[in-house]
This record gives sequence, C-alpha cells and structure tokens, in this order.
Amino acid sequence: NWEELDSRSAAVGKGTMNKDKIFKLAKGFRGRAKNCIRIARERVEKALQYSYRDRRNKKRDMRSLWIERINAGARLHGVSCFLCVFQVNYGNFMHGLMKENIQLNRKVLSELSMYEPYSFKALVDISSNAFPGNKGPKKDSSSMVA
Amino acid sequence: MASRRCLGALTRHLRARLFSTSALENPQTLSLRFLGVTIPQRTSSDLDICRRAFRCSISIRFGGVRRCSSRPTNPSDKEEDEDDESEVEEEYEEGGESSDGENGDVRASKCVVQRGKSDEEKVEEAAEIGYKVIGPLDSSENPFKPYEPFFAVVQIGSHQFKVSNGDSIFTERLKYCEVNDKLILNRVLMLGSRSQTVVGRPIVLDSAVHAVVEEHTLDATVIIFKKKRRKNYRRTKGHRQELTKLRITDIQGIDKSENIVAVA
Repeated sequence: NWEELDSRSAAVGKGTMNKDKIFKLAKGFRGRAKNCIRIARERVEKALQYSYRDRRNKKRDMRSLWIERINAGARLHGVSCFLCVFQVNYGNFMHGLMKENIQLNRKVLSELSMYEPYSFKALVDISSNAFPGNKGPKKDSSSMVA
Repeated sequence: MASRRCLGALTRHLRARLFSTSALENPQTLSLRFLGVTIPQRTSSDLDICRRAFRCSISIRFGGVRRCSSRPTNPSDKEEDEDDESEVEEEYEEGGESSDGENGDVRASKCVVQRGKSDEEKVEEAAEIGYKVIGPLDSSENPFKPYEPFFAVVQIGSHQFKVSNGDSIFTERLKYCEVNDKLILNRVLMLGSRSQTVVGRPIVLDSAVHAVVEEHTLDATVIIFKKKRRKNYRRTKGHRQELTKLRITDIQGIDKSENIVAVA
C-alpha cells in the first residue's frame, strides 16, 4: 500500500509526481538515462533546454534550407536557357523577383522548385528578364543568326 | 464647450423624438437601463441620436465632460453608414462607460477596443487584413470535389501556402469565422496548372481560393523550460497555440480545360 501511494500522484513527495512525466519525456534516450530517475532527470532537463533553443534555431535552419534549394533550382534552370557568362544564381534570381514585385516567400519558392519545375522555370525566366537584361538582345541576335 | 455640444445634441434628440415614430418609448428605456439590456431593433439614425443623448446624460450626471467632447465626432461619421449595427453590443459599450465614471482616458481605450470588436464593418475589415472573406455558412450541399491538378499560392496573414484542391492547412486562429464556414481567400500570389502558370505582382486579380473551416483547435503542448545552471533558477511552462484547420475546396482564376501546349 505504501509503495502504491508513493507511485500515485496523490503522494506529496517532491519527485513522485514528476517521475512518470520525466520517464515519458525520456523515451528513446541512451543507456540509463531512460530508466534511472537521477540520470533521466538531468538528461530531460537538458533536452528541454535544447528544444527551447532549437525552436528558435529551426526557423533559421529552415530558411537556409529553402535558400539552398532555391539556389539549386535557379542554377539548374538558368544555365539551360542562357549560355552566357552571367548566369542565374540565387542572388540574381531573388533580385529579379523583387524587381518584379513578386512577393512569394522562400518557403513557397523552395516547394515550387521541388515539385513544380515548369512553374519555377517560368519564374526564373521572369527574373532573368527583369534583372540582367543586358544579355537579352545579344542572345536574340545570336539565336536568329543560328 | 462640451456641455454646449451636449445640449445641442439633447435638443436635436428632442426634435427627433417629435418626428420619429418608434423613438417615443426607446429613449426612456435607454435612460433607465444602463447595463446592456436587450433593446428591440431600430434604425441607425435613431440609435446615433439616442446614443449621443445617452452619453450626454451620463456626462451631466457623472461630470465626465471630456467624454462628451470627443464622442460626437465618431457618430457624425457613422450617421451615413449601414443600418444593420448590432445593438446589443452598443448597449454593452454604454454600460461599460457608465460603470466606470471617472477617468476619460480609461474610458477612451475601453470604448475604442469594444467598438472595434463589435461593428460588423470592422469585422469585415479585420477579415480583409487576414486575407479572407467570409462567405455564407455551409448548406447541405457538398462542396468537396475530387482532386484537380492545379495549385495556388495563397497568403493568409503573413504565411504563404502552396495549396491544391482537397488540401488541408493549419493557419493561425482566424477570428470571426465558425466551423463549417466557407471562406474565400483572396490574396492569391500564384496559380499553376499543367500547361499554365499565372504569376501575380504581387497578387493575381480576379482569382479566389475557396476553403471551408474544418476545425478550431489547439496545437500540441510545447513545454517551455528555462534553466540557469548553478543559480537555482528553473521555470516550466506549457503552451498550446490556437490554430484553425482549413480545407481547400476550389481554386478559381486559372483555365481548367486541358490545353496541350508545348511548354518552353
């Protein structure tokens, strides 16, 4: 009976209420950290601190991931249509979009570059028309000649 | 000066009483009932006059003359507005006002907040800020169609979503809409199909995305834990964000016939 009282949350003791919660949070931890309360408590506290910090970091990480993907997509589509020295990369692509007042954000642009390649290529074309327009006329003349 | 304006309003009120038909009994009821008791529907002109008279009567009683001076500007703007104003909330405003009685500044902030929430016009404006327009509630029809290969990029608040027919998205809690409400999301940044891409600068005109509010929920619990080591400082807090789940039913604004066009 005394042991049952201890394990139930009705008991007054300091750690007894938290124990179950801590073990629940400690699922998947390595070694004794998932089984022994003293070690688990430390590890769980550290895990919660990390999660607090990483909720803020996640936003940064996701944004850099989106930028990587947009960069990749822009370089892929940029090279295929323009065979010039001045090629499309992330910086030029975003500058061209901003010039055209297209307010798509990076998250959506990365999704488009992954799943809608034709639409993304259209955006790359728009952007390259808007921003580096110096190679436009040369390209036309060369294509006409060819 | 303000008292003079109140007197002018009172005389106007008396003149209105003589001319209007239904206003005979209502001002008396107003003067008697201070705290938000329901009053039958009237036109807005009566309401404004009665409201002004009511406020002036409060000011004379409590001596809060400042309130009366700043008020008449607002109703004078609104006299030409729409007729359907929710009156019960208006009366609650009056009730809140009368119950305070002392500080004009406190009453100013309270009244501005309540007035912003109560008017239907303000509700619509707030919906526009969130880039949605509330359509009518769902009838017995079934608006859910099978999947169509078209997508749209929609902005709600500050978040953008790439949506298609039949998707469900989680947004921040949208006020002013209930479950099973039809929404029209009018800030559409891009549309796409197999053969076409429509890019808006910044939004595509004449396009709309229809959605239905599926549920208003809370997110999963996030534990906010702060600790400073060796300083005996530890804080634990839980947080559940309020969300709205929308289901996208229709995308309009793009040509949906199957065009087989060679895409460059």
